[in-house]
Amino acid sequence: MKVIEIENLNKIYKESEIEVHAVNGVTLDFEEGEFAAIVGPSGSGKTTLLNMIGGLDDPTSGEVIVGGSSMSKLKGAELTDFRLHNIGFVFQSYNLIPVLTAKENTEFVMRLQGLSAKVCETRSEELLNIVGLGERMNARPNKLSGGQQQRVAVARALASKPKFVLADEPTANLDSKSTETLLEIMEKLNREENITFIFSTHDARVVKKARRVITLEDGKILSDVTKNGGE
Amino acid sequence: MITSISWKNVWRNKSRSMIVIGAVTLGTLSGVFVAGMMKGWVDQRIHSAIHTEVSHIKMQHPEYLNNEEIKYTIPNYSEIENYLNNSENVKAWTKHTKIMAMAATSRGNTGVMLKGINPDEEKRVSDLYTNIVKGGGNYFESEFKNPIVISEKTADQLRLINYQITDNLIDTLKLLKVKDHTIESLASIKDKRFITEKKFKSALEEILHKNEIRVHGPVIMQMAKHYKVKSKIVFTFSGSNGEMSYQSFRVVGVYKTANTMFDQMNAFVIADDLAKVAGFEPNKYHEINMIINEESVDIKDFSQTLAEKFSETNVMTWKELAPDAGMMADFMQVYYYIIMGVIFFALAFGIINTMLMAILERIKELGMLMAIGMNKKRVFNMIMLETVFLTLTGSVVGMILGAITIGITGRVGLNFSSVQEGFEAFGWSALVYPSIELSFFFGVTLMVIAIGILASIIPARKALKLNPVEAIRME
Repeated sequence: MKVIEIENLNKIYKESEIEVHAVNGVTLDFEEGEFAAIVGPSGSGKTTLLNMIGGLDDPTSGEVIVGGSSMSKLKGAELTDFRLHNIGFVFQSYNLIPVLTAKENTEFVMRLQGLSAKVCETRSEELLNIVGLGERMNARPNKLSGGQQQRVAVARALASKPKFVLADEPTANLDSKSTETLLEIMEKLNREENITFIFSTHDARVVKKARRVITLEDGKILSDVTKNGGE
Repeated sequence: MITSISWKNVWRNKSRSMIVIGAVTLGTLSGVFVAGMMKGWVDQRIHSAIHTEVSHIKMQHPEYLNNEEIKYTIPNYSEIENYLNNSENVKAWTKHTKIMAMAATSRGNTGVMLKGINPDEEKRVSDLYTNIVKGGGNYFESEFKNPIVISEKTADQLRLINYQITDNLIDTLKLLKVKDHTIESLASIKDKRFITEKKFKSALEEILHKNEIRVHGPVIMQMAKHYKVKSKIVFTFSGSNGEMSYQSFRVVGVYKTANTMFDQMNAFVIADDLAKVAGFEPNKYHEINMIINEESVDIKDFSQTLAEKFSETNVMTWKELAPDAGMMADFMQVYYYIIMGVIFFALAFGIINTMLMAILERIKELGMLMAIGMNKKRVFNMIMLETVFLTLTGSVVGMILGAITIGITGRVGLNFSSVQEGFEAFGWSALVYPSIELSFFFGVTLMVIAIGILASIIPARKALKLNPVEAIRME
């Protein structure tokens, strides 16, 4: 089943009278349960593409269809609400709320969705156990290592039961051991829970784990390779 | 969850928040205290206007207001008497005869309004009997013929106050551990009588050092004061037949209220004594003063009822008779809120500045919140609540401290004796007992919340303008 359909997506920035074609006529589909990496050199347009898939940036032309509905028709509060219920985000620098504990950070999105305190608590505990932080649930971000914070961010991204998770350079700030742990967790979630993960990355370790690798250059798809069984 | 985040955000940068909270605390404390002091003053002024000077409602002959001639007595007095005695709305009432007279002693003279009263009846309406000064006799308890109670001011004008250093005074100063040098100097003028305050003061200035006067002056002045109770005063007035009459009255009591104007004007005698010498007919009175049962009827409503029922009589409420106090009673409530409003308005700028700094520090986080699905309404609410919490914390502490300060000063009183004369000339007491109503705190709380909401608008607008993608990328 197709989760995301991207049709002839373009993004043009104007930088002091010069037009920059950040994303240039990209057409792509993502199936449910994919573990895909978008790779490419700096300025190739991967983050811009990811932002447009996530509804954080408007395309100049083209369309992103998520679960059958076109995101370009959504504006303001509707778009925010759409993101809340359909998309999970993992950012490069974790971006947890510093005044909340790991558990509260995970619960936060569910509370925004209007779920009851009991449901939020049970699911956040479950998710933090999955990402291996069952013992650190009540720690605030400043008491957690970078790797641990990013695992909380993954738990938070999954808390809203999204259709897919977008991770923008999730391992860029992590050491190799933390990267390995994080990737294992995400891969496990992908295999066991059939959760769709789409990364933008530079990291060879992520590329190695991904089952599909889309390479961008100058905003265009250079290659789109699906590996057999990953690795 | 948003409420909890907002509260936790307040304590993110503790020192910065504490500075704002401290400023709000001080602002609230000073506002509450000033309001409490003003209220104490106004309450005292209103109490003294009603219970010492004019009562709740006064009834007079309509012409008496313009021309205080003794012929203008209350018409239909018996009917009014009957009505007041049977009305449940009247707590107590009393009647006066009044006559303008010239008072004279061998040393001084002054004009006063002689008020003929029935002391027992008067005590139920006026608390003047509680204002007899220490050493100034009593309120018509002495058995003298033609007794009179005058004010300290009148006593001073008639030179009925002496100043004298006595053995008693020196003993008291020794007990107070006043230096031997001061006591020895005072002993040099022992038993010498000074007939005016001015002369006594200059004598003190000659024998004492400035510092000694500053420290011990008020106590010495107060203790050296001797009222010449039992002295005779001769009054000259024009009686009901229009002819000049003379009558002497003997001072039995000296009173002092916070209103110098009232004191200067009024002297009290027994109504029967005055009726005899002035030739008043029975049941002829110049004014009726009454205290109303405020729980059962509104003063204004009752005064209108009286005015309609006794149309030949002029009926006035205390607000009309003491317009300064009346105006204060109506306006002060607004005034307290104006004081608080000005303070909070000034504080709002500091709050806005702090919140703007807080927002600028958190741009990345706000971008993330918007990206993961926190809509603008929730972002606005979060910032607004944070501002309200910041402001409310300071003001709650300020209100508690203000209430404690008012509680203490309300019990011991604040003494403005250095400016006493000026205050009392306007009827304001120099000893203030601050007080505050609970409803004022509710009002202030609502005001603080409103200020918090208003102060959050600029920082919140700044946050709402953020583009999540740009905000997340910001370092």
